Amino acid sequence: MNSNTPTSYPNRLGVKGWVYAGRYTFERYLYGGHRFAGLGLIAYMVLHIIETANRMRGEQAWAGLMALFASPPFKVIEYLLFAAAVFHALNGVRLLLTELGFFLGKPKEPVYPYSTSVMRHRPLTYVIMALAGLIMVLGGSSLFFP
Amino acid sequence: MRETRLWSLHLLVIPIIVVLLGLHFAVMHYAPVFYGVSVEEARSFEVMVERGRSVAQFVLYILLLAAGLYHGLYGLRGILRELPLTPSLSKAVDVGILLFGLLIFSFGTYVTWWTFGYKIGG
Repeated sequence: MNSNTPTSYPNRLGVKGWVYAGRYTFERYLYGGHRFAGLGLIAYMVLHIIETANRMRGEQAWAGLMALFASPPFKVIEYLLFAAAVFHALNGVRLLLTELGFFLGKPKEPVYPYSTSVMRHRPLTYVIMALAGLIMVLGGSSLFFP
Repeated sequence: MRETRLWSLHLLVIPIIVVLLGLHFAVMHYAPVFYGVSVEEARSFEVMVERGRSVAQFVLYILLLAAGLYHGLYGLRGILRELPLTPSLSKAVDVGILLFGLLIFSFGTYVTWWTFGYKIGG
């Protein structure tokens, strides 16, 4: 085989491969959650663009749509959207920091007991997820109990 | 190199999305907290049209539309291209997502432009 030819590794698990975290760690579940939230957000964004075009049908149509959005089921959906955006954004900050090499510690000799970069990064993961949880609680209280 | 540029752009639009989406949430979903007006008032037709006629709002919404669609659809492309696709299917995913993004962006821009040019009482 030509050395420049890319080797193809079949993704045997397909979607299941990123949904099922198996015996992986907390970060692996965050990875699944990040994708799930991201897909939900882009689906919502497209629907939102289409749905807000309703304004072109006039004031009555707009008022009807807004009345629908003020109903309890849509309030819950609105909150889920907010929570997904907060989770995706803060986990994204964590990924960006990791990608740029922050909070991973300095490279060192692999001497037992091993200290992995994931473990050195773990406290930041907990802080960021706690912050996401706090914002979700505050956002929920403001939305449901203004 | 092309992939690096696309990926870098995917990251570079993040601050734009965070700031503008934060503003959008504050105005449309948390108006009582940030502006002291009810959500119903913030979403009323008159207020929505009045906001939409501002140049700043027009520019910022187009920017959010472009940044949000690029970031989201690039992410979707990445997920789809992880699947075991043939090269021709990968190409179809790229073209399909690009066309879909352009279509939604055009539609969103048209709606924003319509709001910008709306004449109250006209």
